[in-house]
Amino acid sequence: MKRLLGVALGILTAIGGFVDIGDLVTNAVVGSRFGLSLAWVVVVGVVGICLFANMSGRVAAVSGRATFEVIRERMGPRAGLANLTASFLINLMTVTAEIGGIALALQLASGVSYMLWVPFALIAVWLVIWRVKFSIMENVTGLVGLSLVVFAVALFLLKPDWGSLASQALNPSIPSGEGSGVYWYYAIALFGAAMTPYEVFFFSSGAVEERWKVKDLVQSRVNVLLGFPLGGFLSLAIAACAAVVLLPAGISVTTLSQVALPVIQAGGQLALAVLILGVVAATFGAALETTLSSGYTLAQFFGWSWGKFRRPAEAARFHVAMIVVLLAGVAVLATGVDPILVTEYSVVFSAIALPLTYLPILIVANDPQYMGKHVNGRAVNIVALIYLVIILVASVAAIPLMIATGAGA
Amino acid sequence: MILNDILGRDVMDSNGERLGEVSDVRFALDAAPAQLLSRARMVGIVVSPRTATSFLGYERQDLSQPWPVAQLLRWRHRGSFLVLWEDIAVMGPDGVRLRSEFTAYESTLPR
Amino acid sequence: MSKAKPIPAQDIKPAPRPAGLVLDAQLHLLDRQILDVDGVPVTTVDDVELSGPAPDEPIPEGAEAPHITGLLTGPVLGTRIFGGRPPSSRFIRIPWDMVAGVDTVVSLGVRANSLDASWVERWMRDQVIAKIPGGRHDPE
Repeated sequence: MKRLLGVALGILTAIGGFVDIGDLVTNAVVGSRFGLSLAWVVVVGVVGICLFANMSGRVAAVSGRATFEVIRERMGPRAGLANLTASFLINLMTVTAEIGGIALALQLASGVSYMLWVPFALIAVWLVIWRVKFSIMENVTGLVGLSLVVFAVALFLLKPDWGSLASQALNPSIPSGEGSGVYWYYAIALFGAAMTPYEVFFFSSGAVEERWKVKDLVQSRVNVLLGFPLGGFLSLAIAACAAVVLLPAGISVTTLSQVALPVIQAGGQLALAVLILGVVAATFGAALETTLSSGYTLAQFFGWSWGKFRRPAEAARFHVAMIVVLLAGVAVLATGVDPILVTEYSVVFSAIALPLTYLPILIVANDPQYMGKHVNGRAVNIVALIYLVIILVASVAAIPLMIATGAGA
Repeated sequence: MILNDILGRDVMDSNGERLGEVSDVRFALDAAPAQLLSRARMVGIVVSPRTATSFLGYERQDLSQPWPVAQLLRWRHRGSFLVLWEDIAVMGPDGVRLRSEFTAYESTLPR
Repeated sequence: MSKAKPIPAQDIKPAPRPAGLVLDAQLHLLDRQILDVDGVPVTTVDDVELSGPAPDEPIPEGAEAPHITGLLTGPVLGTRIFGGRPPSSRFIRIPWDMVAGVDTVVSLGVRANSLDASWVERWMRDQVIAKIPGGRHDPE
């Protein structure tokens, strides 16, 4: 019974933890402009993240080495430092977006200006990183984040034309009024939102935090293979709600309250309350994960002692680095920049940085010195290589498309 | 002497002709045990004709997966060879010069 | 850069096999994580110090092969990327006889606290973390 509960907890946490502010905003924007014609990107992204989370988790469990240590060891100092700089800056952008997301959700709940919530969010995130055990942190934010299933409930309550939704998804076509450049730009953005690098850093470092061994791999595979696709399904629900309510009305998403409109329409104030709870939990969880990722990447690259399983006194540089990151994120928000805008840019930049993270993992997952007999099988390698090509194409196409479409305007 | 003084430097034969760059330095722990680990004796240097940036050592190990990456990297490092300590005449930041009668060995790592 | 004179393939002979563990410095030592005896990360291997020979001096025939005297860490990242070498005084040295094992990490036989290499960590700990309440407790 206890095992079953443990398994269920793992899956539920994975679902609730899948969606962050990037998925929320990007799926809503895409739904409001393209309907479900980009749904296939979510599917591709979910398969990709399952594949790479699995690989990096396996590397961490078998060799005890987390992703950025592997990157440093395999790429050498020059390429490794370039990789660190890029990954760190994107992580920082994502931390900023997530803290902004927490504040925006609290503003939605209370009517109090979001700027006032930012310092509150900062302290709350830091306190949890400072004092709360890793597993408790993961489980609580993951379970409460499940409230986002309200999007799926709202979708049913809205009684949409299922046939039309299905045909949009299965026969994707670019809606009139949008150019093909913008369509592909948002495809890349959605892909980046599903396959964010910080997920991989966090997942593999988390495996070391929780001391996974080879026998834990089965559990982790179940969590990933069941949890992530169901999380992807939640993303699609967000897009579908936007497609059903906002697209016909020609409302394009620029604020969090617009993301909430379909839910309010379906279930009123009660649904809104559940939604806000879910958004706060999901963005709070993601803020924790991205801040920790920043700490992990720096500490692993420079060889510092790290980990929440250690007392802060035993991982001093790790904790100092994270405090600095949080303060930097808040400083950016204090300039008044719109967190939704930061979010939209962070997912595209995430897509650009993907090859930097995935190539070293793919290579180490094949190295018997690290993996012993747990190297990648042929089938995994074939799929991984296909994804490497997709990732490279997305990464290379992102900047030209961004310039050509004015960042999706 | 520290390693980064010679890694990446040019390797020349006794006539001054360039053979490549130092892509790695090989050691063997085959002496009597010291305190914890045995002494690490320098065996020789690995010379790569094209580029010193080894990038993952595919050319020296049996790794063949992921297939396209392995093939690409092996091709870049074709012609790499090992030169033993006995055949080195001078080494330092100004480069490595080999003795006139040196032997080139395969650079694959023993399993 | 002039093109290298290639060695004909038939001239490349199979290598003699040394008796013990064989390590290639760039592949197996450089940039590896150094863990202390308790498994706590100390630093990374930034460079390796050899017992000889004298740089750019001719090596006498029959001279004994140099051996590794220590692992170096320190402000080398900048010079490894851009070239040059920091003054020897800036290096922090971990003597080779403290190394207990080399595989995917370099394991030492001593505790991190006893090494010079961990001074930054100790400084951060004493100046910053210890000043914030709760820093010395396990997370709950």
